[in-house]
Amino acid sequence: MIDHSVIDHGAPGDVIRVDGVTKAYQSDGLPALAGVSMSVAAGEVVAVMGPSGSGKSTLLNLIAGLDRPTAGTVTVAGRRIDSLGESALARFRARHVGIIFQFFNLLDDLTVEDNVLLPAQLAGASRRQARARAGELLEQMGIESFRDTYPARMSGGQRQRVAIARALVNQPEVLLADEPTGALDTATGQEIGRLLRSLATAGQTLVLVTHDPEMAERYAARVVHIVDGRLAGAGVGALR
Amino acid sequence: MRWFGAVRTATGGMLRHKVQAVVLGMVLLVSTASATLGLALLAASNGPFQHAFSAQDGAHLSVTVNPARAGAGSLAATRSLHGVSAMAGPFGEATVQTQWNAQPFGQLTLVGRSSPGGPVDDVVLSAGHWVTGPGQIVLNGLSGGGGPTLGNTVSVAGLAHPVTLTVVGFASSITNSADGWVAPAEVSFLQAPGAPPSAQLLYRFTSAGTASQVRADLAEVTGALPPGTVTGSGSWLAAESQSDSNGAIMEPFVVAFALIGLAMAVLIVANVVSGAVAAGYYRIGVLKSIGLTPAQVVVAYLSRVGVPALAGCGLGVVAGNLLAVPVLHQSAGAYGVGSQLVPLWASVLAPAGMLVLTVLAALGPALRAGRLSATQAIAAGRAPASGRGYGAYRLASRLRLPRPVGMGLAAPFARPARTLVSLAAIAFGATAVIFAFGLSASLGRAAGIQTLSATVPVQIQQNSPGGGPNQVPTAAQDAAVTAALRAQPGTARFSEVFENQVKVPGVTGSVNAWAFSDDASWVGYGVITGHWYDAPGQVDVNTAFLTASGLSVGDTATVDTGTAQVTVHIVGEVFHPSSDPTLYGSAGTLPGLAVAANVDEWDVGLRPGVNAAGYVQAVNGELGSGSPWAATTQHDGGQFYSIAIGLVGLLALMVAVAAGLGVLNTVLMTTRDRVHDLGIFKALGMRPGQILTMVVCWVAGPAVVAAAIAAPVAVALNTATVHAMAGTAHTGIPASITQVFPPSRLALLSLAALAIAVIGALAPASWAARARPAVALRTE
Repeated sequence: MIDHSVIDHGAPGDVIRVDGVTKAYQSDGLPALAGVSMSVAAGEVVAVMGPSGSGKSTLLNLIAGLDRPTAGTVTVAGRRIDSLGESALARFRARHVGIIFQFFNLLDDLTVEDNVLLPAQLAGASRRQARARAGELLEQMGIESFRDTYPARMSGGQRQRVAIARALVNQPEVLLADEPTGALDTATGQEIGRLLRSLATAGQTLVLVTHDPEMAERYAARVVHIVDGRLAGAGVGALR
Repeated sequence: MRWFGAVRTATGGMLRHKVQAVVLGMVLLVSTASATLGLALLAASNGPFQHAFSAQDGAHLSVTVNPARAGAGSLAATRSLHGVSAMAGPFGEATVQTQWNAQPFGQLTLVGRSSPGGPVDDVVLSAGHWVTGPGQIVLNGLSGGGGPTLGNTVSVAGLAHPVTLTVVGFASSITNSADGWVAPAEVSFLQAPGAPPSAQLLYRFTSAGTASQVRADLAEVTGALPPGTVTGSGSWLAAESQSDSNGAIMEPFVVAFALIGLAMAVLIVANVVSGAVAAGYYRIGVLKSIGLTPAQVVVAYLSRVGVPALAGCGLGVVAGNLLAVPVLHQSAGAYGVGSQLVPLWASVLAPAGMLVLTVLAALGPALRAGRLSATQAIAAGRAPASGRGYGAYRLASRLRLPRPVGMGLAAPFARPARTLVSLAAIAFGATAVIFAFGLSASLGRAAGIQTLSATVPVQIQQNSPGGGPNQVPTAAQDAAVTAALRAQPGTARFSEVFENQVKVPGVTGSVNAWAFSDDASWVGYGVITGHWYDAPGQVDVNTAFLTASGLSVGDTATVDTGTAQVTVHIVGEVFHPSSDPTLYGSAGTLPGLAVAANVDEWDVGLRPGVNAAGYVQAVNGELGSGSPWAATTQHDGGQFYSIAIGLVGLLALMVAVAAGLGVLNTVLMTTRDRVHDLGIFKALGMRPGQILTMVVCWVAGPAVVAAAIAAPVAVALNTATVHAMAGTAHTGIPASITQVFPPSRLALLSLAALAIAVIGALAPASWAARARPAVALRTE
């Protein structure tokens, strides 16, 4: 169900605001994103859907500050990030954005606890505070018994829980999830989905990239469709 | 053809790894260059005089004749004498007294030659050009070293009409057949009034290997000319002896540096090549999955490293030859030979050796790649090394260190083999740097002790214009020197030095005896064992004396001075690099030596703050131009040390650069391996500066260990090398010459390891810091 009237161009309370963003990886090729505008309000859960190669991960990277747009502006947590320098951008990511990846992207040579602690330490938190926060999150995710375990010895679902804990350790305004259940079996994927929904219920702003319509419908308040780098429309999810 | 076509296609794809190809090429370039230079230096230290003598058609015999006594035909006829294989000359010759910068520059034998080449004594021009007309001079030796430089003028004194010669070049005769060369027409203007004409004949003989053969050759020439024609002669054996002595002194450290350079080149190439192949396992798996046979995979991977290796080796041998020009110029100066070239075999062996090494290093991983199944290769290429270094990361996380520092310090434990290679490269480089500083300091101290430059800034020597080589100064002229020195307010102290030959039972031949007029302890001879004499009847001796006599410090010896026999007590062994036995005592201890005929020089110490040059000018003004004595600030023997120190610095720099490149490569390989992790760090908020710090810390730990290894190794190497050099110079050494590493300096020098590591890691660390997180995360 697509409701074109849902596409908006932002409001004063938006946590994420993307204005006319274009991203081209090659100067003479087709852009991965072309003139995309969208916004996400505080506490809102938005799913970005589209087929493979449509540009949804590129959009997520731009919102995370992992990449820069070729044109347009990206404002997150009240700050224009497309014009920030690399150091400022890194500092911004550490404090305001949490990212969950499809393939977890945990550091194999660090224990579960150290993986979760790392962003907090990079953001300048004291070790004591960071450990306390990490402990809370590991408990919340139900993996406190794996504190000293290395990720390679854990199941996919457990690893994604570690990744979620890591993404939340700095209490970011924005949580970005790129196909968070894409590497998991159905049952585990549903577990992770429920976890994300509980975060959303608690007021966490979440942008969820997925190509799974069911997941988008079930867990997002709003669904944004991207096709060939352009916004193709929007719909309403069950969370609304 | 189809078989190779697939290989070519696969290789072409792989060559898109430009950075790795460039690094591989660069490493082989530097390694081949250092190997070429190392081999060239080893060749240069192997019989340098003999090789140069052969290449430059050196003269076995230089004969000075009075051409007025024999016609040109008679002189030319000596060319066909029995045993003569080649002859050059006659060249007009004049012995003159010269001045430079208004200071006595000494007596020079100048020869008129229209060109440096010829059938005998092919003189090698090292700077400037050959004389093209009157008023020009080419000096024997190298430019610099405190003497005249190109464009300076040297004036000739004692002539009816003053002659000024402009220095237009520097050249070297392998047998030092002249001190300088002028245009042939110039020689007649340089003859002192009333002096007989003089000419030089240069010969090569079929047999001139021993002193007796050279004597027989000289007799052959002398007998063929009218009596009184031959007025002097010089044998090539004297030059050979002097050069071999210098060469032998140089050899230990040249060989040490060459071996360090070669070992490091081998280590780095092996590491880079095997790493490059191992890094491609994933692609190997893909290639196999689409049908490449194991043999094709092996060939594809050998080809992959082969192209950049060939380019690197080719450029490296060119770079090595170019680098060798200044290095061999320096070593030729130190060996006392005109020029040295990179031998052809070194230019072939170095790149060939490096290519063979490359193939061998690549072969193991390539064969393994060939044997792996497609899925195994893909897994090996993708999966990070598991299980290694986790404990180190865990420990680092517990330390109160900034997180990037802790993670950087823990990283080397994940790849122990690669870390060991980095560590070895840094250790080699740091050893070379610390060793170079130590050796320079040791050589500087040896030079200072030998030339007494710190304590005796001024010497009065018989070196005056018009004085003539055999003129014996009168007692009145000697007294004038003493008076002039006493009159100078800048004089702190001085000592008159007498020198003559004495006999000591048990020592074959004569012994040099130096007698000092007063207390000469202030002169500052380096004492190896015992002490400087401080009472009548005591003498010091050099190492050659102890070796020749079989005596030791503390023994007594009987000295026959020619006028008296005295028993002396040997109280010390002093540093005097010479194969001639020498003893030192007061004039009172060695009776008969302190006479006018034996005065050799005055050693003068100055009051603090007195300018030596001004002092010399004042003393020479006081002595006047008629005195056979002149004050000088020049010290012989300094040039060898300065050339050797320059060479040491250049060699150390090369080794350090190669070490830095080795570090760069290993860090680059690690950043490529960990590029995905770097993307994660960035995504989690690690700033570029923190990434840079972390990557630099990857090599900081190994650098600290390398420093801990390099420091004692360099100290030991320096001590061994200095002792080896001293041994070849027939001397022991004062402990102060090797004690050049106080703890604070050694600690400071050890930072060289850190500097090499940081500088080597900086470029890949900057690349890692600049990489976009999204790109890094996409890269596998």
